Amino acid sequence: MKKETGQEYTVALIAVGFGLLAGAVLMLVTGNNPLLGFFYLFSGGLMNIARIGNTLATATPLIFTGLSVAFAFKTGLFNIGAAGQMLIGGLCATALGLTLPWPKPLLLPVIVLAAALGGALWGLVPGWLKAKFNVHEVVCTIMMNWIAYWSVYYIVPAYFKGAYLETESRRIPEAASLKVDWLTRIFKGSYINLGFFIAIIAVMVIAYILERTTLGYELKAVGYNRDAAEYAGIQANRNIVLSMMIAGACAGLGGAAFYVGYASNMQIGVLPNQGFDGIAVALLGANSPWGVFMAAIFFGILHSGKGFMNAMTQVPPEIADSIIATIIYFAATSVLIERVRGQMQRRRQAQNKADLPLDSEAGLKENAGGAE
Amino acid sequence: MEYVVEMLKIRKEFPGVVANDNITLQLKPGEIHALLGENGAGKSTLMSILFGLYPPDQGTIKVRGQEVKISDPNVANDLGIGMVHQHFKLVHNFTVTENIMLGMEMTKGLVIDHKTAAERIRQLSQRYGLNVDPDAKIEDISVGMQQRVEIMKMLYRDAEVLIFDEPTSVLTPQEIQDLMAIMRNLVKEGKSIILITHKLKEIKAIADRCTVIRRGRLVGTVDVATTSEEELARMMVGREVSFAVEKTDRPPGDVVLKVENLSAYDNRRIMALKDFSLEVRSGEILGLAGVDGNGQTELVEVITGLRKAESGRVLLKGVDITGHSIRERIRMGIAHIPSDRHKHGLILDYTLQENMILKVYDQTPYAEKGLLNREAIAEYTNRLMTEFDVRAGQGASALARSLSGGNQQKAIVGREIDLNPELLLAVQPTRGLDVGAIEYIHRRIVEQRDKGKAVLLVSLELDEILNLADRIAVIYNGELVGLVDAKTTNEHEIGLMMAGGQRGETA
Amino acid sequence: MYKKVIVVLVILVVAALIVLNVGQRTGVLKMGRLKVGMVTDAGTIDDKSFNQGTWEGVLQAGEELGLETKYLKPAGTTEADYMTEIGNLYDAGFKFIVCPGFKFETAIFQAQDKYPDAKFVIIDGNPHAGDFVPVVKENTVSIFFAEHESGFVAGVATALQLKEGELGYIGGMEIPTVQKFNWGFQQGVKYANANLGTKMVIRPENVIYQGSFDNVAAGQQLAAQMYDRGVKAIFAAAGRVGIGVINEAKARVRAGQEAWVVGVDVDQYDEGLYDGKNSIILTSAMKQIKKATFDMIKAETEGKFPGGEILVFDAKNDGIGIPDENPNLRPDVVSKVAEVYAKLKSGEIVVADVQGDLIR
Repeated sequence: MKKETGQEYTVALIAVGFGLLAGAVLMLVTGNNPLLGFFYLFSGGLMNIARIGNTLATATPLIFTGLSVAFAFKTGLFNIGAAGQMLIGGLCATALGLTLPWPKPLLLPVIVLAAALGGALWGLVPGWLKAKFNVHEVVCTIMMNWIAYWSVYYIVPAYFKGAYLETESRRIPEAASLKVDWLTRIFKGSYINLGFFIAIIAVMVIAYILERTTLGYELKAVGYNRDAAEYAGIQANRNIVLSMMIAGACAGLGGAAFYVGYASNMQIGVLPNQGFDGIAVALLGANSPWGVFMAAIFFGILHSGKGFMNAMTQVPPEIADSIIATIIYFAATSVLIERVRGQMQRRRQAQNKADLPLDSEAGLKENAGGAE
Repeated sequence: MEYVVEMLKIRKEFPGVVANDNITLQLKPGEIHALLGENGAGKSTLMSILFGLYPPDQGTIKVRGQEVKISDPNVANDLGIGMVHQHFKLVHNFTVTENIMLGMEMTKGLVIDHKTAAERIRQLSQRYGLNVDPDAKIEDISVGMQQRVEIMKMLYRDAEVLIFDEPTSVLTPQEIQDLMAIMRNLVKEGKSIILITHKLKEIKAIADRCTVIRRGRLVGTVDVATTSEEELARMMVGREVSFAVEKTDRPPGDVVLKVENLSAYDNRRIMALKDFSLEVRSGEILGLAGVDGNGQTELVEVITGLRKAESGRVLLKGVDITGHSIRERIRMGIAHIPSDRHKHGLILDYTLQENMILKVYDQTPYAEKGLLNREAIAEYTNRLMTEFDVRAGQGASALARSLSGGNQQKAIVGREIDLNPELLLAVQPTRGLDVGAIEYIHRRIVEQRDKGKAVLLVSLELDEILNLADRIAVIYNGELVGLVDAKTTNEHEIGLMMAGGQRGETA
Repeated sequence: MYKKVIVVLVILVVAALIVLNVGQRTGVLKMGRLKVGMVTDAGTIDDKSFNQGTWEGVLQAGEELGLETKYLKPAGTTEADYMTEIGNLYDAGFKFIVCPGFKFETAIFQAQDKYPDAKFVIIDGNPHAGDFVPVVKENTVSIFFAEHESGFVAGVATALQLKEGELGYIGGMEIPTVQKFNWGFQQGVKYANANLGTKMVIRPENVIYQGSFDNVAAGQQLAAQMYDRGVKAIFAAAGRVGIGVINEAKARVRAGQEAWVVGVDVDQYDEGLYDGKNSIILTSAMKQIKKATFDMIKAETEGKFPGGEILVFDAKNDGIGIPDENPNLRPDVVSKVAEVYAKLKSGEIVVADVQGDLIR
């Protein structure tokens, strides 16, 4: 239904170009060859099947958190809590994985569902507070991040710690892991896991919800214009809560993909970066589900290729981190700048009543018809 | 020098559209020249070209006989052309002086010289009768005064030619009178004015000559004194326009809406509606007249469910709906044309078809089992577009934002009327629209009445209420001042009531 | 729009070509020599502690033996992140890889099988499959330190220097190495009280694990509370949390109060300088990480890599202890500590590496 999508993708591509350019400048300044740097960067992410697998595995949690942020954003909410939702999702998955002695085909769906529910719960709280008391969701989700952080901090050592270590859970049993042998074999020992396919399904489901369902219609209506939505009888508050829950569920799934897929146990004292990178992913992906997917894969390439670039060139790791961060945030902010510019343009056009052409177009066509 | 500004054979094309086609406008020194046309006729494009916002594709511009190329607004400023925009460009927490100086600050060393500037503003203010206080903050002064600051900005920059873009659309009747006086002063002092408008009354009241354009083409330039309002309207719309709404007598039926002793707060938690009671019957249009901000908004919002009533009841066809949700009320037959089409009426980032199903998106055939039926929605939109004459460049899938104001409003009216409501709440249904659209919407509203539905018409324009309503209720300070029969009352009587005076002998 | 993309790409290519020459000249690799890589643990390479000690050992080997060296910083702290970086080093030709930290245990377990022609050194950990059963293959060496002995020596030195008053301990996460420092320190203080006439007290509320290795602010806060409770010196085995402790001590000393810190892992004296030459670091409970790392690399170049072994560095092989230079300790304290250290070396004194009846 949107005409702008094509343009949004162009903007994203330009943004990526700017990001890479900024990265290149940084490489030049630090006395490195950008061409070689980028060659090794992309080789590191893509040069063989195992590395492609690792790239996809790295991208998987980002797809989920990106979706989470993008979805909430569609309803006009800024979800900074993807990290916490991811942690809780991961905690639920880990807890069940370490507790239930079920066979894999039975256990995995339960684990994945639990992760989604955990994340949804963590989204429900700020959503409800926003709807009921108009507490700003940014403040609330940040606080929920720390509640999640310290909950994990307490629960993992108290109930799921390994024999010797206080700081991480026991290793996830094979039956509870999203890693499966056939996939590892196809990708030659990579970390890719079922989470990636769940992510694809999630992207499709979210796209479907947003574009095809009345629920998506309501959510977007609230996001675009809450007053008009309420005027039409749409319960904005209900939709805010629902939106945060779905966003939380996405991030929760990301937690499962990360803690029982990518990783093999849960460590305490870490707020996952993926939660915050999700904001950049959503921004670069123009908040559209498939855009998020592509953006996450791009970030995945950067993250997993960085080490190889590091190993093959004289770029120190700290500079490499800066280069990656520069590419990511330059890309993300370029999108932002482009969008702000577009908005300003629109406002200026509105002032000049640039909606004139459309109207006159209709008029002129009619005239032409009359003349014939 | 015969003309101070000449725009000769201007043509401007936007991708796929000719916005201005061979338009000529010549402005004499010391005249008020109206530029008349419907929304979307190309007035603003033409003025944007003069102001340097767009380059013309063809044609020439002469200022004081010299051919010029106006590449950006700064060039226009240097040539003494100033524009008073419809939406003011003022910094709200700056003073009048600071706003006027913005961009051309006078300095004494490194310090901005406020004093001299303020003095100059005072002088200009006196000379042109603007009555502007240089030290007031923008956020503290009225809209009318802000507009004068905009005018002052132009005078401060020594503008000789002033372009006013729809200047009265934001003003109260009294402020309009003041503005006209100012414009006369300006002309008397040798300035020339181009007045962009679609309001015929204003042109008759103040303009010397009038250039009319329609759909990007020049219709002609006429002497205002010798041209009647009807003729101007015909030139603008391209056909005969009737101002009076034809309405047959019709006995009203049962009470549809009953409001009993309603009280409600406004957004600032001040009691805005006090013990208000009203009845609207089927087959009648009840006009609610009043000066803006006297409780109309709150009344409508309480009836639709957007606002909570502190006390009192709302009954629809005898059913107490005071506690019902907005959706339940819509389903029971309340339709609402909101006063602010951008805030409430439309979701501007949704397409036209998405907007058309705003209130029925979850009903068959537009949705089944929670899934939207695109085909049914497009079909429905196309039907409404035809039926209600809504024009959009890209048809049903055009973004609502891209439609002109008139078409946006027609879309809303179409959507609400097609709900086939028992009660239609029409709030400022023709605000900011041109003659053609107004005429059309009025006809549709009367049609509802004739079908035996109840209509509550809330309008700030007395003409509209007098034209349409069967009975007129007047609200002042949240209270009902009185109810009069539209046929036996007049502007004067209602005007008095709107100011809070109780009804006189006609009770 | 597309034009812009093309412009961007053109600029990129041109920029790249300009520096291509430079890159080619400097990019020549030293072929044939051993290339030594390191993957860092959580935290930075200049953590004044664990990573830095290891890296200095690698660098020393690089300089003295003429080897190419490189460290990589993983994106996270999961096994997958570590495996990725080990793979990157391996793919880039680094066939001798040092990994500091117990978190590498499961990663090294996999890597030693996946890359049989590479050599691995893991510090403070044993490769295992997640079940804590050590499996050290022929291409791997595990290195442990007797942190409890190191803590013991530092505890004795601290007690002797301060004679009486209260001491505190701030740890990072409650993991074995950090716990062993704590237990050893307490035993050292007890030993000094019992045998060397000191009257130092460690109260249970002054033994705290902050819970992370990176929260500088929390370290400072905890330290402030302890000093307020009358603690004279704090033993901080807590990574960057310890930096917070040091900052608080510096602030207090500048304000004229008494506050000491006992450093950890490496000689942290320089970290505690508050006026350019005086430091609030009383002494440091060191692990000779640098030496151990250097020794392993050197052994490899001489063909004597002790693959398959689990090595313990303790007092006996001078793998732990306090720094050679201790400007803040009186000479008599230094000599007394040396005596105690000798007894430790000879086995006359035995320090327990379990909690027993100690605090936490």
